[in-house]
Amino acid sequence: MNEFYNKLVDLYAGGELTEELSDEMEAEALKNGALAQDMFTLRKTVEALQSLPSPDLTEESDYRILLKMQIQGTEVRRKSPESSHWQYHLLIQS
Amino acid sequence: MSGSQHEDSLAERRWLNALAKGDPTALGGLYELYGEKIFRYTFRMLGNRSDAEDATAETFLRVLRRSAELRADGAFRTWLFRIARNLCIDKMRQHRLLELPTDAHYTGTEDRATLRVTVQQALSELPIEYRDPLVLCDLEDVSAKEAAEILQISVPALKSRLYRGRRALRDRLGGSIEKLT
Repeated sequence: MNEFYNKLVDLYAGGELTEELSDEMEAEALKNGALAQDMFTLRKTVEALQSLPSPDLTEESDYRILLKMQIQGTEVRRKSPESSHWQYHLLIQS
Repeated sequence: MSGSQHEDSLAERRWLNALAKGDPTALGGLYELYGEKIFRYTFRMLGNRSDAEDATAETFLRVLRRSAELRADGAFRTWLFRIARNLCIDKMRQHRLLELPTDAHYTGTEDRATLRVTVQQALSELPIEYRDPLVLCDLEDVSAKEAAEILQISVPALKSRLYRGRRALRDRLGGSIEKLT
């Protein structure tokens, strides 16, 4: 497959082509097995990648991160137990 | 810019100004704003929670240590990711020396759930120049322009790495990807 097709497949896989161009690519793929294989597997790769679950910043991780900062001499803590946003305090320990 | 991005931008400016004035709540505000994003990025780059927690904490500690260099001109987020990235690279070097495992384990089973583990494992095995753009652009939804700024390369170079990275990932996944319908 030539460089031109490779570029088009890259754009197709990333969803960067217009709908019209994507349709043209898919029509071309019906006549070209190698192109179809390239398009299908690359798009599936991108989809599989993008479907990876997002790692959660759990309460435990949040606590450990703040603790690590505290150990290094910087304490970032909440103003009150019920607060959530915008209510961290920083204490710089000398 | 979306409403949420605009609010974040205003909040960022407010906290950076506060940090410059020595406000003791400023780092907490910046952590509230970006802590989760940096944690997600470092987790995806490093593949395990413990190292991601270390890297996230160190990223914000460096913000504090280098607060004199900060400018509230919209470049903070890019700078923050750059710090996190450098810390990830340091961690990866340590892993190579110590051969520490990641949290992901490939079982060899080819169903959709295990494919995720396979993809995560394959991603963590990619060279950093490919992993970076895939994590930033495909997973964290960072724009090509900002990703290029974080990586200190041009947008065309970023795109080239992104496309090569996707192909390299596909090669590593081999037959697993073809079984998906």
